[in-house]
Amino acid sequence: MKRSIGIALALLLGAAVVVAVVLGNRDDVSGPTTVRGVIGSEKKPFFDDPRVRAAFERHGLRVEVDTAGSRQIATEVKLDDYAFAFPSSLPAAEKIKKDRKVATTFSPFYSPMAVATFQPIAELLTKAGLVRDSGQGYQVLDVAKYMDLVAKSTRWDKLPGNTAYPARKRVLLTTTDVRTSNSAAMYLAITSYVANGEDVVTASAQVPAVAGKVAPVFLDQGYSQSSSEAPFDDYLVMGSGKTPMVMIYEAQYLSRVFAGDGSIKPEMRLLYPSPTVLSKHTLVPFTPQAAEVGRLLTEDPELRTLAAQYGFRTADPKAFADLVAKHRAPAARDLVDVVEPPTYEHLEGLIANIDRLYASGAVPQSEGGP
Amino acid sequence: MSVPRLSPSQASPLSCPRRGTARSAALRAVVALALLGSATLTACSSGDSDDAPDVLRVLAGSEVKDLEPMLQRSGVKVKISYTGTLDGAEQVAGGGADGSYDAIWFSSNRYLSLIDGARARLSTETRIMSSPVLLGLKTAKVKELGWEGRPVSWEQIATAAREGRFTFGMTNPASSNSGFSALVGVAAALSDAGEALSGEQVAAVTPRLKEFFSAQRLTSGSSGWLADAYTREGKVDGIVNYESVLLGVQGLTLVYPSDGVVTADYPLTLLASAKPEKKELYGKLAAWLRTPDTQRQIMTSTHRRPAVPEVRPGPEFGSAPLLELPFPNRRTAADGLITAYLDEVRVPAQALFVLDTSGSMEGDRIEALRHALVTLTGADTSASGAFSRFRNRENVVMIPFNDSAGQPQSFALPDQNPQPVLDQIRSYAENLRAGGGTAIFDGLRTAYEQAPKASRDHYTSIVLMTDGENTNGISYDEFAAFQRTLPEAQRQIRTFVVLFGDSDVEEMKKIATLTGGAVFDARSGSLAAAFKEIRGYQ
Repeated sequence: MKRSIGIALALLLGAAVVVAVVLGNRDDVSGPTTVRGVIGSEKKPFFDDPRVRAAFERHGLRVEVDTAGSRQIATEVKLDDYAFAFPSSLPAAEKIKKDRKVATTFSPFYSPMAVATFQPIAELLTKAGLVRDSGQGYQVLDVAKYMDLVAKSTRWDKLPGNTAYPARKRVLLTTTDVRTSNSAAMYLAITSYVANGEDVVTASAQVPAVAGKVAPVFLDQGYSQSSSEAPFDDYLVMGSGKTPMVMIYEAQYLSRVFAGDGSIKPEMRLLYPSPTVLSKHTLVPFTPQAAEVGRLLTEDPELRTLAAQYGFRTADPKAFADLVAKHRAPAARDLVDVVEPPTYEHLEGLIANIDRLYASGAVPQSEGGP
Repeated sequence: MSVPRLSPSQASPLSCPRRGTARSAALRAVVALALLGSATLTACSSGDSDDAPDVLRVLAGSEVKDLEPMLQRSGVKVKISYTGTLDGAEQVAGGGADGSYDAIWFSSNRYLSLIDGARARLSTETRIMSSPVLLGLKTAKVKELGWEGRPVSWEQIATAAREGRFTFGMTNPASSNSGFSALVGVAAALSDAGEALSGEQVAAVTPRLKEFFSAQRLTSGSSGWLADAYTREGKVDGIVNYESVLLGVQGLTLVYPSDGVVTADYPLTLLASAKPEKKELYGKLAAWLRTPDTQRQIMTSTHRRPAVPEVRPGPEFGSAPLLELPFPNRRTAADGLITAYLDEVRVPAQALFVLDTSGSMEGDRIEALRHALVTLTGADTSASGAFSRFRNRENVVMIPFNDSAGQPQSFALPDQNPQPVLDQIRSYAENLRAGGGTAIFDGLRTAYEQAPKASRDHYTSIVLMTDGENTNGISYDEFAAFQRTLPEAQRQIRTFVVLFGDSDVEEMKKIATLTGGAVFDARSGSLAAAFKEIRGYQ
């Protein structure tokens, strides 16, 4: 209901702007120019929003997007088919920027990595010493302590005093597949920092040892899904049985809160890992029109406001803060414990090492399988 | 409603019609089911060379067949071809689906994603619905076991199975995703490991799996046929199947194992090779399928759980949260589990093959028969081929017929190192010769006489393959009268008939109905594909 009023308002506003634009640019008689980009899946709802499409059209642009994992965008996707790439992190964008010799990139919005869980689980983890209050109005998950627990192969039903979630499975944060998905790569940035003695991995020599230490938090989960939307969907729909806690972009959770669609139920909780990293969604343009898309996303007040509604933090903190206040969203105002991700090269080195561990876990070839 | 799987990947390029096969074959199958309560399988489908820009071509598992009529309201033209889970996975991973299809839709992409190179072939995945794989038992049996309204673990279920307190049916894990999911779930729960199974853990849990599967008395190549056979006969106390299927069967109480399940999530998945206009169709269809209205309709008409938070699951799904068990992330572990099931865990098969070697088989047909049998000795090195070959501990009996029934030849595969016996079967098959008349029912009678009383030691079934009408020996009616006089254990042996060449379709269907078997159609496809398919039912 709220949303439809919003849409109606936006349409009215939009109509006014269209008139202004048309009056202002009488020479622009052709239709909007189509600009096709490849983006991380978590931004697709934003680009599909009719209000966002209308905002671009007022500037003579029609933006079409395909989705792919950020790592795929940097390595596998045929970028010649696209006018821009918009991966979800800076390291991937840096790689594309270098490969394609692009001068200017745009980082119009960012989102810290967060953990979505449930009240009984959060309580359990608090008792176990993994979750604590930050003193800033939000709760944090201590990643170092969490990794200790994983290293001991702790099961939920072995946590002391656990009657709320006596599952006979390992205490493991659900993530996506680190080999394909950016949100898992951001989680790797966090865990590698902790495993490297509270320091960003900055040398190739550090990579093998750190990869060995962090690999269990990925491998022991078993099968992981390839896109960031899927495990969060499971969390929302199937609840704690499948996904007691999941690594997400803060924006995924907040966009649901801001939309007020009832998908965030009272027992759901948003925590922040400590440390966390910021996922800086960075647009790499290959054409002047695509650069205009990047510029508008960064500077256009309307697009910035819309981005905030999708839970992204932008260069305009007020739009975000207003929404948080309005919806009493459990978002952290100032995150203190934020670390930088490793460079693309080192992140890639860590992933390649973990990839090899996936393969080397092979048992002797079974007779049935080729 | 069950519909058997079609196998485009196995289709022989020479004998397969080029288009329209999937629909009409499926229609035939539905008709056969409705009329006879037995299934018709065809091993042929179109891999579609004719492509229209406004049609989304989808390669799918038979599990989503029940949604096809609903898609007409999506506003997107969709053309679906059906195949088996494993065949489909190999086809997609190997690039065989690129260019022929725009999207895939199976009950799960998990096994597929374990195959090297598969993930690069896939683009956007959209989950449409979900359904956990569970045990459904007759309500009286649940009461008898003291499980009514109480949490029951796989541990307890396995113990009751070992003690012989109930029997069940399940699909073959190498043929069907529901059986595979159940196998993964039981293994994960019984292994006490807590994380995804590794190869070592598979070996460690195998003895416990044997206890559980000692109670399996019915197997099937498809989830739909399993539910139909259970409903028709009720010979076992329950079946392992998707919650959505179990909710549609009368008189079953669903057991939700407290230590966890494996859930099918039906991802509609765009192939990375799809053209831009197809990507748009995909986006439209996926968005429509996830609208609250469509989700509600899927839930009420198919008993699948909704995939969007806006739609509340109905009361039929119960309120207990379902624990999801971890799924292996290495293909070796998954394949190792299937291999352990086939070679060590399951009740071994006794497979009797009644084979037409009459004069009309001369030439290509006898060659096709030789090839089909050789395929089952390990000549087919694909995963589906390897899993469908004759397995360790299995008894294979060949009964050729022409003017009369020939000499039965038995091959007993040992529990290790089966190669010498596989070689014997291969050489037997290669030496089959055609000539003489067609004494179908003499051959079939011999098989029923030959089969020792079906016991706990083996799961016995018969395959009858003929290319023509009965010309010699006893008639169908005489056979039916004979069959009625058999002791119950022998009478219950199923005959799976293969239509080939100029088979008498009506009479073949009557045999399948009489014995609780099914009909497989290899008239326009390959005999080898039909034999491979039948292996799921043995």
